[in-house]
Amino acid sequence: MEIIAFVNNKGGVGKTTCSKLMAEYLSKIKNRRTLCIDFDPQCNFSHQYLNMEIDPAAPEGLMPPVHPDYDDTDPDDNDWDGRSSIAEIFYGQGVVPYPTYVPNLDIAPGHAEKLLSAESVRRSEVVEKVHKQLANFLNSPDVQAEYDAVVIDTAPSKGPLTISVMKASTHIIIPSVMEEQPVQGIYGMLQLWMQESLIREKNRPLTLVGILPNMFKQTRLHKDILTSLQDNAAIGKYVLPVKFSQRIVFAEVDAADSTPRSIFDYQDLHVAKSEAMEVCQHIAERIFA
Amino acid sequence: MSKKKRFGISEALTRGLSETIHVVENNSGLFRNVILPLSRIELDPDNPRKLAIDLSDIRQGIRPEDTNYQRKQEELERLKELAHTIKSNGVINPVVVYKLGEFYRVVAGERRCLASILAGKQEIEARVFNEKPKGFELKLIQWVENTAREDLTLDERLGNIRDIIREYLIQNDNAEVTATLLKNITGLSLSQTSYYLAAMNAPADVQSEIRNGNIRNLDKAALIAGIASPLLRKQAIEACVNGYSLKEIKSIISQQKLLKKNKADLKTTNRGRQTVKINMGTTLSVEVIRKIIESVTSRKEFDKYMTIFTEVNWTDLRQTTKAFRQLIELMEREMAI
Repeated sequence: MEIIAFVNNKGGVGKTTCSKLMAEYLSKIKNRRTLCIDFDPQCNFSHQYLNMEIDPAAPEGLMPPVHPDYDDTDPDDNDWDGRSSIAEIFYGQGVVPYPTYVPNLDIAPGHAEKLLSAESVRRSEVVEKVHKQLANFLNSPDVQAEYDAVVIDTAPSKGPLTISVMKASTHIIIPSVMEEQPVQGIYGMLQLWMQESLIREKNRPLTLVGILPNMFKQTRLHKDILTSLQDNAAIGKYVLPVKFSQRIVFAEVDAADSTPRSIFDYQDLHVAKSEAMEVCQHIAERIFA
Repeated sequence: MSKKKRFGISEALTRGLSETIHVVENNSGLFRNVILPLSRIELDPDNPRKLAIDLSDIRQGIRPEDTNYQRKQEELERLKELAHTIKSNGVINPVVVYKLGEFYRVVAGERRCLASILAGKQEIEARVFNEKPKGFELKLIQWVENTAREDLTLDERLGNIRDIIREYLIQNDNAEVTATLLKNITGLSLSQTSYYLAAMNAPADVQSEIRNGNIRNLDKAALIAGIASPLLRKQAIEACVNGYSLKEIKSIISQQKLLKKNKADLKTTNRGRQTVKINMGTTLSVEVIRKIIESVTSRKEFDKYMTIFTEVNWTDLRQTTKAFRQLIELMEREMAI
């Protein structure tokens, strides 16, 4: 089971869009049993596949809807409120992934309040209570048997949630807009990658698949910054040779009533679909080689 | 027309990115720093530092019937001092361990581990090697950790160097061990490594004094090891044992050499141009010149010249030189008559 995370502590660089495209490519096109995990308290990724509900306890945050398998007459479900998010791993409870409208694709959604409280655990407890939990969950035999791939969308932060993703992942991809601030976000993620790499055992490295230029526009700014990254001896080999362009259609399919709901449902010649195929195929080949 | 704008990422960011990548590429999976329960730590029996006290002595107390009771008691007292600072400040540098089954073996930091137990700590920060370091690396880590300490005897330090060289030779057949090679391995200065080699290859009498702890200083050991004459060496060893300084031992050696040399040197060869006059040479010691002048002018036949030299300022090299030349001239004139 390969665990792929999209990380960058700068917000708005397209982590959720990339996660969504990758997850749909693996499940729809490659027929791999895929689990999405939404580790961002903003829960945008979850909202793509589930009708997230407003949490009455924290009105600014979202929580997952009642699970379709929940049966309040079943005695087995007696001590369950019917909602399950990935944040349950911090509370010693089981995670029940939700099916999505995409075949082979499940999602363990976020839960704003629970993820935020995991992020704010006291420093001395953070290692036991947060850092290791996601790895423990994903390494459990149940999860390993159920899925071929896991795609994790992360919060724009360098905090405990992102660190726990680093500890759990086998591969990370850093999407970035070719502008100064997002590139600084690359630096933040490389720091976490370094910290994690130094303590990993050699036989299970955390592979940096690469930096993925996203929302690319044919402007001098984007072209020059991409070139300066590519031309650097150390960084260059981690800049992926594929990129996502700035296209409104990537955002359009996010709308709940859009048809089709997935880029991969467009015709093969559609410029956005062929770009998504090219990028995802390249990344998948690197990971599943 | 304005110049076209060019963009790029800042130099600081570029440097940060490439440095981080290099760190990962060069170091991943080597070691990790963790907090370890002290109950999981055991000492390495092959550690070059021969501390008598061990874990059971710390945990259960030293048994009075122990043959090493006195020595262990002394070590315990020293550990208590360290424990005191650990209690207030903790252990500053993590100890180095590797995993062996259920336990972690200490590569470096025995005293810190023992003192932490004494201080009542439950855990210690450690750098964990993922696999047992290879013989040579292990010795090198222990060596590097140990050189920072001052309480190792010369014998223990030489033992470490011997171990390092032995492990190195296992990996590199027939390598010639030179001071330069040792310098490259250990990072010590060339003079230090040549001293170590000299002390290691010292004659048996010097070696045994190093083992007894009579020669504790590397510079002295290397100096004495270089003396070829057994008699002179014995003299130097005695001086060293009696606490003479390096400078004093050096002067003993050069004095002895000079005595020997003077006897031999009077027989000169006839090579080169014929010598037609006597060269007086030079000296830094004005006292020698003053002594010569005073001795000569105190003789009856020269005492009339004594007044010439009463005004000489003997601290002035120029005046002293002039006075000496004057004496030679006067004597030549006096004795020619």
